[in-house]
This record gives sequence, structure tokens and C-alpha cells, in this order.
Amino acid sequence: MLSRLAAAGLSVVALEAGVQWRPDRDFATDEAEQNKLFWMDERLSGGGDPLAFGKNNSGIGVGGSTLHYTAYTPRPQPDDFRIRSEFGVGEDWPIGYEDLVPYFDELEAFLGVSGPGTYPWGPERPSYPLAPLPLNGPAQLMERACAEVGIRTSPAPNAALSGSWYQPGHGWRPACTNRGFCQAGCSTGAKASMDVTFVPLAVAHGAEVRAGCFVTGFARNVAGRITGVVYTSRDGEDIQLCDHVFLCAGAVESPRLLLIAGLANSSGEVGRNFMAHAGVQVWGSFEEEVRPYKGIPGGLISEDTHRPPDADFAGGYLLQSIGVMPLTYAGEVARGRGLWGEQLRRHMRGYNHVAGINILGDCLPAGGNDLTLSDELDGRGLPKPLIRFTAGDNEKRMSRHAEKIMRGLWDIAGASDVWSFDRYAHTIGTCRMGDDPDRAVVNADCRAFDVPNLSICDNSVFPSALAANPALTIMALSLRTADRFLQMRGKRE
Amino acid sequence: MNLMPDRAYPMGTVRSLLASDRVTPATAEALRRRLLGARPPDEEVFDADAYRTLEAVCARLIPQPDRYPPIDVAAELHRRLADGIGDGWRYVDLPPDRIAYVRGIVGIDQTSAALFGEPFLTLAGANRDTVLRALQAGVADGETWRTMKSDCFFEELLAQVVDIYYAHPLAQEEIGYVGMADARGWQAIGLDERDAHEPAPLGTSR
Repeated sequence: MLSRLAAAGLSVVALEAGVQWRPDRDFATDEAEQNKLFWMDERLSGGGDPLAFGKNNSGIGVGGSTLHYTAYTPRPQPDDFRIRSEFGVGEDWPIGYEDLVPYFDELEAFLGVSGPGTYPWGPERPSYPLAPLPLNGPAQLMERACAEVGIRTSPAPNAALSGSWYQPGHGWRPACTNRGFCQAGCSTGAKASMDVTFVPLAVAHGAEVRAGCFVTGFARNVAGRITGVVYTSRDGEDIQLCDHVFLCAGAVESPRLLLIAGLANSSGEVGRNFMAHAGVQVWGSFEEEVRPYKGIPGGLISEDTHRPPDADFAGGYLLQSIGVMPLTYAGEVARGRGLWGEQLRRHMRGYNHVAGINILGDCLPAGGNDLTLSDELDGRGLPKPLIRFTAGDNEKRMSRHAEKIMRGLWDIAGASDVWSFDRYAHTIGTCRMGDDPDRAVVNADCRAFDVPNLSICDNSVFPSALAANPALTIMALSLRTADRFLQMRGKRE
Repeated sequence: MNLMPDRAYPMGTVRSLLASDRVTPATAEALRRRLLGARPPDEEVFDADAYRTLEAVCARLIPQPDRYPPIDVAAELHRRLADGIGDGWRYVDLPPDRIAYVRGIVGIDQTSAALFGEPFLTLAGANRDTVLRALQAGVADGETWRTMKSDCFFEELLAQVVDIYYAHPLAQEEIGYVGMADARGWQAIGLDERDAHEPAPLGTSR
């Protein structure tokens, strides 16, 4: 977005709550140290299946959530955008795969996505620009087991480099060294986070990135236009005057800010339909040494479960092999399995023999799953968000279906002590995109119905969750939103 | 439940890595700081008895009979609470962390009294575990647990304790994790493959 607008000659300023890191100098291969990449302002979690925030899904700093995404970049499939038409539940998108496909093509070619020459699922598409990354232990185990039962697999598309890559505006990015640490910050620049790709390009085009600026509200005129963005920084409170605002703070902070400001909510939809991908994991212990800290964590993919023939649910999911860092794994063993004492220590001494598979499954929007402002204030005096989430029958049935398949695969692969961790990943929804101003917050171009010069562009506008990791779609939507904004602006002038 | 053989790894690998050029400066700095232990908190969250109870609870959740000195989990937990360092979220059913922990320690003594007629600190080890299991199962007796779910509190406490213990370089060495040797990355990443500086488990040949 930033680079697109700047390249078109617009004067653009990005206000980022976090800091600008120097990954080669600042990023340690140490999970506790890297907590600095996560949004740690407290969120309150309720509902029947309260979600973990912080390390689970929320970033801060120039580069945002791409600083800690695993680089996993499968495309959604065309039918993901039409789940209501296909199943009669959920919500269709006002745009389709075909609207985003030029951007998927552009992004994969620009970021340097590593992946297979021929991708087995979805519409025909160009080869990935770089060869796949090497498979680590969990990927090899999943490949072996899937081959036996006839589930097709492929090296996964990952936005981390299998060869060195020239990044316009930034310079050469080196090939991935298999450090396995994507989820807590890439220190080499091999992973395509925004701080080593689009942000430097934007700066080269003249954009300004102002770090350490926490937006707290908006100034408006009598006509309802936003005239300035109010933020606090080290220097106190300030205001950035503006002609147009793009709110891109994610599915928690974007709606939170709108609710605090009392903005863009004539539909009452701000904060509603909070979604999180079904992400049940199955772990097992193997005779072989896995050493799950090495290699791209999600090395292998299967989308044979995109629309399983025996499904008792709407939508579908993808399968993914997973490596894991020790602190993350220990936390899951504690929370998910409740092990403690010598039992826990012994289990953890087997860490080097542990491998996992998980899913990324669609999630239906549901009433009652929402974000509201709580009565409790944070350090800035702003109300903390309360997010309520209860998995619906559809998510539960999908997770059960997936767990059965994954347990079967791990049995075949030779695992013992197999256990599952029922989890939900990513933050999606709360500022729905749609054609009807009574049921949506923004239109198909991500422009707010209620405020003439406000666009919202992040995972909050997703009308449905899609059966693919969200990062690539967020980026594609961002480029499309910028292009549509520039087109409309061109027409107006 | 534990069908796999118990594994053990050689001691001293982290300190020898730190003396080598295999660890980037950023990683080395983080590890060295943690090896020094938690700095004292700026203010006390617990009174002396409550803190001793917290230490005793930590010692049951992560017993360290094999390690001297033990990794001081309670000290780091105390520092995090005093500094207001959380993990970015909490169950809406629990009060803010500091309040939850102060109440939780009181609750643990109430459960102890209900089950055994004495405070947690004077209980024998097995009885301490019984108290903690009651919390974990959400069936703990005690005034505190009428307004704060004991299973929610126990999960938070356990997650924090585990997070602190396994963040420690020596606990990572214990489980054979060597990802901190990050300066050159990894070549041998497949099953049963090991780069030269990855320690083999004790009792195996390279």
C-alpha cells in the first residue's frame, strides 16, 4: 500500500506503534528475547474457547505481523471466496479470486516465494520463482506417511529464499540458512517480511515511515471527514494532518480504535464476526532424531483436504508439517496437556524427537464472536479490548475430521505418545467488507461506508476466513486497495 | 504415557558455544543475561511467607533435584509480575496478573488447610502435589476459588513457570536444543541428520 501510493507520487506517512528494528543486530535466536516482536498490551479473552493473543498472532514494529509470520504463503482457492454460495453458511466476499490473482502473481514474483514448479491444487498458476526450500524432519515424516495413504503433498510455498534474491529498494537478500526461527524474527533477511521488501521500496519512492507512534484517535470536521490522525510518541501527543487515512492495524486494534473513536459504525458491524482459523495440531514422538528447531517450520503442504468428500462440515482445510521451538512447544505441553513435575521434564527431554502436523481451516463468522471495549483501561488510559470466541459446530467437526487424519498419519509415520493441541490461529474479521452498508463496514474497495476519506485494509475486512494462511491475501488486498484508490482518485481529478 | 526412552544430553554445551564464534552477538547477549539470573524486582508483590509458598509451588511444578543451584523460576516470575510483564492476554475470568497471583497463593493455602489442615509450606511433597492437582482439576476447596477459577489460575501459573524454566539456556541444554548456535545456520536438517556442533544424546555414538 505504502509503496504503491508513494510510487504514484502521493505524499504518504506510515504511523507505526512499534520500533524500526535492525534484524541483523537486534534479533536473537532466543524466543524469550524475541517477545519484543509481539503485541503485549493486554487483551481480555473470553467466550467458550478463549483465544491466546501475544505470541500466538499479534505483532508490533515496522514490518508488523510479517516480522513473525512463518512465511507460509499458499493462495486461497477460488471457492474460498464463495463459501455462502457453495454451502449456504458463512459469507461470500464481494470480490473473488480473479480480482486478487494479478496481485498474487505480482507478490510471489516480488517477494521471492520458494515453492514447487507445479502446484498440485487450485487453478493453473505460474511456477514459483524460486525452487522449494529443503524439507526438515517433520516435513519428511509427513511426506512419508501421506505417500502411504495416498494423500498428495508438495513442498510448501514459503516467502523465504532458497537462493539469493535482489530486492528493489533494499538490495540483495541472502538465501535462508535453515535457522527455523521465522516465527520469532528472521535475522538474515531471507524471509520476506515487509521491513526488507515493501517498506524499503516505499521509502525509495519517497514515503515516510514514522516508528514509535501509537495512534489514539482522529480529528474530524463537521462534514465528517477525517482531518488528522492523533498519535502519541516519545515526544508526547501530536497530530498528522491528512487527506485520506488507511487504517491497517489488524483485526483487534483496527476495530478497537474505531470503537474508541465512535467511527465508521452505523452498521453496528465494527467488532462483530471475529474469526480465527481452526489450527488443531497433532504432535508425536519418533525414534528418529527430528530436531524440530531446524529448517523452514512449515516445509510440506497438502490441500487434498480442501473439500474432503467425507466432510460433515462446510469449507475445508490444508495440512502442514510443523517444526517448533522449545519454549513454544513447552508452553503447549503445559497448557494443552497439563503435564507438570518430572513428567513434564521427561517429556521435554524428548523434544529432539518431536514432530507435528497441523491444519489451517476455514472458520465461519458467528454472532457472539466479537470484539468489544472492556471497562478496564490500559497504560494509555484506553479501554482494553475484550475478544469473545467460541468455536462453532462447523469448526469442531472440521477439527475432529482433521485430527483423525493427522493421528492416522502419525501412526503410520511411526509416532508414539501422540497428542493433539486444539488451537485457533490468526485474527480475522471485525470490519467486514461487503456491498451492503447495513451489513458491512467497508465496500469492496475497502473504503468505509460512513467516512468519506477512510479506508480499512488488513485482516479485519475479511468477510470469511479462507482456508489459507492470511498473509498473502492481506498483501494482495493491500495492493488492490491502493490501485483502486488511485483509479478512483484519477477519475475524480 | 512416556513410551519413548528417556534422553539426556551433555552438560556445558551452551557455555562452550558462547565461547565460540557460532553464536551471533544478539543471541549471545540474551543468553548471558539470562544465565546471570533475574534481577531483583523494584517492588515486592508478595510478603515473605507468600513468596516462600510461591517458591515451593514452583519446585513442585518443575522439580530440579538434579540441578544445583536450581534455576530460580520464582524470582523471574516475581520480577515479571512486579514489572507488569505479561504475555499479551489473559482470561477475562481472571483478575489482572498481580491480583490473581496474590489471591492464588492465598487460595493454595486455603486448599491445603481444607485437605490437610495445615499450610502448603508444611506439607510433604506428595500432599503438595495433591493440592496442586485439585487446583488443576478445578475442584479446589477454598474461599478464593469461589470467585476465581482454580483451573484457569493453575494453567496460567504453570504456563508462566514452564516459560521461565525452558527459556533458561541450561534448561535448553538439558533437552538437547542447540538452536542458539545461529551464526551459520544449519546444513543437516533432515531426519537423523546432525551438524557437527549439535550435541549427541549421552549414551549414543555420533
